[in-house]
Amino acid sequence: MNIQFAEASSAAPAKRVNYWKIITRNRVALTGVLMIAVALIVALFAPLIARYDPKSSEGVSSSDVYNPPSAKHWLGTDDVGKDIFSNFVYGTRVSLLVGFFASFISIVIGGVIGLVAGYYGGRVENFLMRFTDIMLVVPDLPLIVVIVALTKASLMNIIFVIGIFGWTTTARIVRSQTLAVKSRKFVLRAKAIGAGNWHIVLHHILPLVLPIMIVNAILVVSAAILSESTLAFIGLSDPTAISWGQMLNFAFSRGAMSVGAWWALVSPGFGIVWIVLALTLLGNGLEQVLNPRLESHHLMPSRPSFQSEAEAAPVKTGATTAPVLLDVQNLSVNYVNDGNVAQAVRNVSFQLHEGELIGLVGESGCGKTTLMMALTRLLPAAGEISNGHVFFHGKDLAALTEEELSELRWSGISVVFQGAMNALNPVRTVGDQIKEAIIKHIPNFPPKALDTRVEELLELVGISPEHKNHFPHQYSGGMRQRAIIAMALSCNPQVVIADEPTTALDVMIQAQILELLDELRKKLGLAILFVTHDLGIVAEMCDSVLVMYGGVTAEYADVDTIYNAPRHPYTQELLKAFPDLSKPERKLTSIPGSPPKLDALPPGCRFAPRCPVAFERCAKEAPALHQLGENHIVSCHLVEA
Amino acid sequence: MASEFILEVKNLKKYFQAGQPGWFSKGAKLVHAVDEIDLQLKHGEVIALVGESGCGKSTLALTLMGLEEATAGQILFDGQDITHLAEKEKKALRRKIQMVFQDPYESLNPTQTIQEIVMEPLVVHGIGANDEARKKQVKKALEDSGLKPAETYLTRFPHQLSGGQRQRVVIASALALEPQLLIADEPVSMLDVSIRAEIINLLAELQKTRNISVIFITHDLGTVGFFADRVAVMYLGRIVEIGSMQAVLKDTKHPYSQALLSVIPVPNPRLRKKRIILQGETPNPVNLPSGCRFHPRCPIAEEKCKQLDPHLFNLSAAHQAACLLLENYQ
Repeated sequence: MNIQFAEASSAAPAKRVNYWKIITRNRVALTGVLMIAVALIVALFAPLIARYDPKSSEGVSSSDVYNPPSAKHWLGTDDVGKDIFSNFVYGTRVSLLVGFFASFISIVIGGVIGLVAGYYGGRVENFLMRFTDIMLVVPDLPLIVVIVALTKASLMNIIFVIGIFGWTTTARIVRSQTLAVKSRKFVLRAKAIGAGNWHIVLHHILPLVLPIMIVNAILVVSAAILSESTLAFIGLSDPTAISWGQMLNFAFSRGAMSVGAWWALVSPGFGIVWIVLALTLLGNGLEQVLNPRLESHHLMPSRPSFQSEAEAAPVKTGATTAPVLLDVQNLSVNYVNDGNVAQAVRNVSFQLHEGELIGLVGESGCGKTTLMMALTRLLPAAGEISNGHVFFHGKDLAALTEEELSELRWSGISVVFQGAMNALNPVRTVGDQIKEAIIKHIPNFPPKALDTRVEELLELVGISPEHKNHFPHQYSGGMRQRAIIAMALSCNPQVVIADEPTTALDVMIQAQILELLDELRKKLGLAILFVTHDLGIVAEMCDSVLVMYGGVTAEYADVDTIYNAPRHPYTQELLKAFPDLSKPERKLTSIPGSPPKLDALPPGCRFAPRCPVAFERCAKEAPALHQLGENHIVSCHLVEA
Repeated sequence: MASEFILEVKNLKKYFQAGQPGWFSKGAKLVHAVDEIDLQLKHGEVIALVGESGCGKSTLALTLMGLEEATAGQILFDGQDITHLAEKEKKALRRKIQMVFQDPYESLNPTQTIQEIVMEPLVVHGIGANDEARKKQVKKALEDSGLKPAETYLTRFPHQLSGGQRQRVVIASALALEPQLLIADEPVSMLDVSIRAEIINLLAELQKTRNISVIFITHDLGTVGFFADRVAVMYLGRIVEIGSMQAVLKDTKHPYSQALLSVIPVPNPRLRKKRIILQGETPNPVNLPSGCRFHPRCPIAEEKCKQLDPHLFNLSAAHQAACLLLENYQ
C-alpha cells in the first residue's frame, strides 16, 4: 500500500538521497552524531582544551599525587601528580585515532574479501569464506596480545594488528549483501550491455553494498576502540601516547584503588563508555534508516471512522434480484499525512448480491486497493474512513469496534490478498496453516474435527487431501493460490474479496483458478468482489463492473453494457488499450499520462486532464453520479444532455 | 548483408544441472531447458515467442544473448557463428544484439541517474569522443524513446519515474548501441494495461524506422498480434508450432497452442467461449515424459503419442506444427 499514486510525469528536480536529513530525523542517530562530534572536537582541539601538557612534568611536586578534583585540577591528579583532565583530553586523540584507522583497515580487507567472494562465487568464494570462518573462530584478543607483545607496542603496530583481526564480520555482511545485489536484474542488464566484471562491481554492486558497509564500519570503530583500551589496560600500549586504557592501567596498577582515588578510574572509563555508546547509537540509528523492515508494520489496526460529511443519496446498483449481502454507501477514505488530507476514495456506492461477481477495475493508483481495504477496515495507519457506510447483514462495518469487526472478518467476509500465495510460512505445512486460520477465527472449533475440515477445504479447492502435510515449497504456484483460497473459505464466509488473485500466474494456471472461483461461487453461493486490472478476465467472469478512476466511480454497469455501450470516456479509453485476440490486427492505443497524485487532484473531473473529449466545464466542476437506466451509473458531464 | 537471415539457430540445446552435483551423486540430473530448437529470423522481421513459464523461452533468450553458454547446437548471427565466443568477441557482439528485460522496476540500478543509465553502454563500449558527445547521444536516445524533453529526465532517478517511463529508459539504453537485433523478454507484462499499448507501439515504431529484427517473448499474444510477423509456441523446451501470425491464430493446429489461445481472456462478454483448460502444470523438465512431451496433458492424446516424439511438420510454407495426430503427418 502506498499513499501516493503512481508518479506523474511532472519534472520534479531530482536530488540524491539527503543522508543528513535522514540522520537528523532519527533521534537515536542524531544523539550518536552529536556525541561523536563532541569527542572529535575534544580530540582536535586538545592543546586548547587541556590546561597542562601531559608530557611535561613541570611544576609537579610530590604533594600532587592522587589529589581529588579541585579548581586547579578539575578531575584530580594521577599517580605521578599530573592533571587527569589534560590526560583525558589527549587520550581522546589516541582512542579515536586507533579506532578510525584500525577500522579503516578492517573495512577495506573485509569489503574486498566480501565483494570478491560474493561476486565471483564458486571456488574463490569457498576458499575466502572458509578462511573467514577460521579467522572468526580464532580467539583474536589473545592472539592480538601475543602479536603486540612480540612486536614493539607502538601506536602503528597496535592499529595494524587490531585492523587485521577485525574484518571478519564485515566480510560476511558484505558477501551476503553482494550475493543479494548480484542476483538483481539490473546486474544482468549491465552484462547484456557488455560491461565487464570490474565495471559491474564498481558501478552496480558497490553503491548498493556501501550503506551496509558504513553501518558496519561504525560498529567496527567502537570494537577497535575497546580492543585498544583492553590492550592498554593490560600494559600493551605505546608508552609515549597516553590513551584511556593506559590511564586505567596506571591507576589500577599504581594503587589508585587503595588510596580511594576513584577519579583516576572514572574519567577514562567515562570516555570509553561515551564513545562506544555514541557509535552504537549512530550505528543502530543508521540501521533503522537503511533497513525499513525494522520499522513498524503498515497494517496496524485502523482508526475508528467518523461520520462528518454531508451524505449524498446512496445509489442502487446490481444486475440481479438476489438479496443484497454487502451494501456500500457513499464510502470515502482519506489519507492523513503530516496534517495533509488526501482524498483517496470519494463517495463510492455499490451493492454486492448473493452469488454475484463484481469486477473492480482501473489502473494502478485508482483507489481499488484502498477501497477494498476500507471495506474490511484494514487500511494502513494513515488511512481513515471519513464518510459512508458498509452494511453487512444490517451491521455497519464502518462503525463497528475492532472486536466486533474481527468476529466478522473471515467468518463473514474474507480477503484473498494480492501476493498472499508467496507469503505462506515456509517452515510449516500447508495443512497446519489452514488449521491455524480456522482456530484463530473460531477458537472453540472442535479439535478432533480439524483434520477432516482441512481435508474438506483442500478438496473443495481441488487439492488432494494428502498434500496437507506438505510444505509450501512442495506446492506449485497454482496450488499455493488454491491453498490461500481454501484458507479464505475456512470459516464459511459469504463474501470473498479477491485482490488480483491471478496476477503473477501463467495464463493456463490463471484459467484454472478463475474456473475454481466460478465453481465455488455457484456451489457455495459466494459473492465475490474481484479486484483486477485485466479487462479480459472481467469480461469472462463478472456480472457487473465498477470502473474506478482517481478514487471515484467512473462507471458502474452490468458487464455487457460496460463492454458494448460504455458511456464514460475512461472506460472507452481503457477498452481501446486492451488487446483483443479476436482482433489481432487492431492497433492498440494508450491513455497518455497517469492517474492523478493524491496530493494534486484536479479541481474538476479527476479524469479531465487525460480525457480526449474534455471541455471547459470538466476542469471546473466535478461531475455528479448520473443514473442511466436501472443499473448504469456514469460520472461524466457528457451524459447529462 | 552476409546472410539472408540475421539469426539462424540450429539444433540449439541448453541443459542445466539439477542441483549441485554432490560428492556421492555423480550422475547429476539435467534440466532440459531448451531442447533442439531450430529458428530462422530474417532481417527486419519480428517474431513472437509464446509459452508458459518453464517452457524455456527466457533461457532461449539468454542463450542467444550469450549470457548462458549453449550446451550444443549452433547460433549464427548474420552468417557468423556466435555460439561460443571469447569475452572480447562477446562484448563486440553486444553492440549488435541488445535486450529489454521484463521488470523495469528491477532492471534499473536505483543509485544511478537516468543519464548515467543510458550513457553506460556508450562508456562501456568507448563510443563517442567525450562526455559532451555522449550526452548528445543520450538525449537523442531518450527523445527517440518518447521521453521529451530529455533534459528534464537526465538528473532523475528511476524511482522518480513511472513504470512506463522506466521501460522507455531501458529501451533507450538498449537502442543507444544501435543494435540490429532486439530481444524483448516480456517487456510489458509488469506494466499497467493502459501503458502497455504505448510501449508496444514505441517498439513497433522503432523497429520500423531502424529496420531492427525483434524477438518478442510474451505469454499474451494479444499484445503483439498486430506487431509480430510470425509466432512460435514453445512447450517444455521445444517449439511445438510456428508460423505466420495469421496462420497460427486463425488455423491453430497443435492442441497445446489451441488450449493456450483458448484461455487468453477476450475482452468481450458476448464472446465468452469454451475454454480448453489443461489440468495440472507444465511438468518438470528434469523427468521428461516419453514420446510427445505434451501427451500427459493433451486432451486428444492417443496411444502412439506415448511412444513417438513428433518433429515439426510442414503444414504449408509458412506454418509448421509438431503433433502426431496432424493430417498427413509423416
